[in-house]
Amino acid sequence: MDSQNTSAISSAPTFFASHRLRRNGLAAQIAGRIGSGMLVLWAAVTLSFVSLQLAPGDIVSLLIGEQLRTPEVEAAIRAEWGLDEPLLSQYLSYLTRILHGDFGRSYILQTEVSQLVLSQILPTLKLTTAALFVAIIFGLVSAVLTAGRRIPRGIAGALELTLVSTPSFWLGILLLYLFSFTLKLFPVSGDRSFSALVLPALALGLPLGAVVGQVLRQGLERALEEPFALTVRSWGTSGLVLRLRHGLRHAALPAVTLTGWLVGSLLSGAVITESVFGRPGLGRVTVEAVLGHDLPVVLAVAILSAFVYVTLSTLVDVLYLWLDPRLRSDSPEAAR
Amino acid sequence: MLARRHFLSLSAALLAATALSSSILASDRKPVSGGKLTWGVETEPATLNPQLNGQDKTKLLLRNAFESLLARSADGGYVPWLATGYEISPDGRTYTFRLREGVKFSDGQAFDAAAVATNFSKLKDASYSGSVSAGPVALIVKIDTPDTRTISFTLDRIYAPFLDYAAGLELLSPGAFASAQIKSGGPEIAGTGPFILRRYAKGQEIRFVRNPDYNWAPTNAGHQGPAYLDEVTYRFLSESSVRTGALASGQVDVIEGVSGNDAGLFKGSADFSYKTALNTGTPYSLFLNVTWGPTQDVKVRKALIASIDVDAVLKSVYRGERTRAWGITSPIDTQFYDKSIEKTYGADPKRANQLLDEAGWTSRDPQGFRTKEGKRLTIEVVQAQATVRDQRDVLLQALQAQARQSAGIDLAIVFVDAGTYTERRKTGQFGSIANSNTPTDAIDVEYHYLPVDQGGSINYSRAAAPELSLWLKEAASTLDHKTRFDLYARLQRFAILDQAYALPLYEPEDQVAAARYVNGIGFRPFKQMPESAYDLWRSQ
Repeated sequence: MDSQNTSAISSAPTFFASHRLRRNGLAAQIAGRIGSGMLVLWAAVTLSFVSLQLAPGDIVSLLIGEQLRTPEVEAAIRAEWGLDEPLLSQYLSYLTRILHGDFGRSYILQTEVSQLVLSQILPTLKLTTAALFVAIIFGLVSAVLTAGRRIPRGIAGALELTLVSTPSFWLGILLLYLFSFTLKLFPVSGDRSFSALVLPALALGLPLGAVVGQVLRQGLERALEEPFALTVRSWGTSGLVLRLRHGLRHAALPAVTLTGWLVGSLLSGAVITESVFGRPGLGRVTVEAVLGHDLPVVLAVAILSAFVYVTLSTLVDVLYLWLDPRLRSDSPEAAR
Repeated sequence: MLARRHFLSLSAALLAATALSSSILASDRKPVSGGKLTWGVETEPATLNPQLNGQDKTKLLLRNAFESLLARSADGGYVPWLATGYEISPDGRTYTFRLREGVKFSDGQAFDAAAVATNFSKLKDASYSGSVSAGPVALIVKIDTPDTRTISFTLDRIYAPFLDYAAGLELLSPGAFASAQIKSGGPEIAGTGPFILRRYAKGQEIRFVRNPDYNWAPTNAGHQGPAYLDEVTYRFLSESSVRTGALASGQVDVIEGVSGNDAGLFKGSADFSYKTALNTGTPYSLFLNVTWGPTQDVKVRKALIASIDVDAVLKSVYRGERTRAWGITSPIDTQFYDKSIEKTYGADPKRANQLLDEAGWTSRDPQGFRTKEGKRLTIEVVQAQATVRDQRDVLLQALQAQARQSAGIDLAIVFVDAGTYTERRKTGQFGSIANSNTPTDAIDVEYHYLPVDQGGSINYSRAAAPELSLWLKEAASTLDHKTRFDLYARLQRFAILDQAYALPLYEPEDQVAAARYVNGIGFRPFKQMPESAYDLWRSQ
């Protein structure tokens, strides 16, 4: 702590010199980011390809299912999808095609994969964004209002525990029963209006918000016990301002770290939420594709989710720097 | 699981109590045209091309847009539809259909002999139709169109179920085969039906609008001329409790697929109508693998069947809402079901134990299961997790408990993913697979009892006794109904009583519940699946 403070002070006079260096560093950093992002995308494609090959059940048998199986039928299916090629050349030709923006056709749904994913991505984005919003608002409100206060804290903790441990299927049905079937406030299904988004967003967002709330509250409580909190109070600052302006910034770091987990949970949770609420979306498409070994769809989704992860983790890193000046140590002076 | 079901039925009951009671009884009023209707369905079609779609549950919506040559009457007879009549040549190999005048596909193309010929010849091409090409169309050696209103098919041999197949095949506009949508289906794929597919939102809904030119309903339809409704939308709601709630709260007008627990909500209610119909085809049965594991021994198979009291199991699992099955085809099959098999087997633990003693499974392990040479009597029931429906997981567990209790048989239920299921089906490494199907005219029996590599695509007992194919081929190669009936009856006794290839459990059914103001709901005569929206009308 002390040494960092002094290094920050000593770097002040050389600010202009280090600014140029920092910009070079930034460019290199961005290049590195893009490079590692490409690597992650490639790894996601390759791993999905390999794991689907290793999973039991070959695609020809899965496509034939319980229908009649003759050598002619098998041959027709192999020819249609190029399955008689050796695996390596299937893999390489797939890589070449995606570089040209061609994601192929779904084995099972027989539609263009890019079209399929594009048609399903918007409803999923709407749902996950709304759910993320719900999660963050819920977590923030619950943590800021109850941190360090015994009884409200207990109530919020119990509520959060209930939400975390409720299967989202259940929560979805419960919300539907209350607000759709009985009170008739929101429609049950589809991606047709904003009101149809409310219940699915709550069903998906609340359990995640509960986790965010718990983590934020812990961070906030720790921050409020720090000496600086006392200092700020001594200036006559109100409790709420202290929490919002000073405490939250400290508490946010561990919560931001959760983002990766959060995004993963949003994507996987979307599967169940989509099917309970009869919503279109990538979640259900993905599950069906994995079960049916629908390789082109699985690979496209793998690329998309890897892309989302790479983008978000970059954003999170930037967010760290903004939240915590101590981490802004890419200048050579600071690294000393 | 139990808690969840309890909650759902409770909530459903509350809903029924609070449902609006302002609906008007209108069944005796004159049908009115107009209005829109929303129908909540369980299954989303994998493809909207009816020729490539093998999901029975999606036929109710696909039949709005697609029609076939002949309709069926309740007793299994054939009724004019797109064809005004048919004729079979004296040698039994040539089927000639006379086509109706003035029929048009919704893309404007004329419905004529050439259009029908295009459909059948495309189906013979495996690169278009996959497995369908290996079905009855494979027998067609010649398609003739002597004039624009006549088409005939000549088969390479007599095959009695051909008429059932050809009469029921959904016909597409010849223009459709040039479309990029041909395999996935979609608005470009036109049919002749009373509705036209307008919009498909994957994962959400499919919308049909009325075909104003429609004037060729089968003679036994509820009315003639265009459909009553302006528009009908099918919304995909895969959860049964969500469908129930959506209907009870007025968000949809009709639903299909009502669980046994929710049936009471709509049954006998003043605000809703509730109808069910048994499926056709092979009942849901436990097929016992004769080529793998302990079920290779006929005594073990017979013992398993004797150890189980199916009536008691059905009563406890479905509260009496399901129909017991006994044979190789549906009890409502008016053509080939021989009911003399009923009450001739099962629920006889004494005999089960005696058979197992004879088969050498004499010692017991600490858990009470029978063993032989230190190995437990385990019959592995392989079930794909994704296809569990209609509480069949609970049903299997109830069978498991009975087999253990009354005969010390370990009926191990293994839930697997689709890939593993496919793999085990292919290699034959399973003790038992439970399954049902719906084709009529004994095609269901062929799929289950022909050898695996000769058309028995779901022959899960893997039986290959020469008698089976002999009888099936003989029955299919005569058009004499009495001879066919006798052969299938003989096969039924052989398969169930002599060889114990399968334990028939219950006949699956379709349920439709609707708000009282929806009129005209019904099931297709003979085929029994829910009918399209053609005859539906709203009285408010």
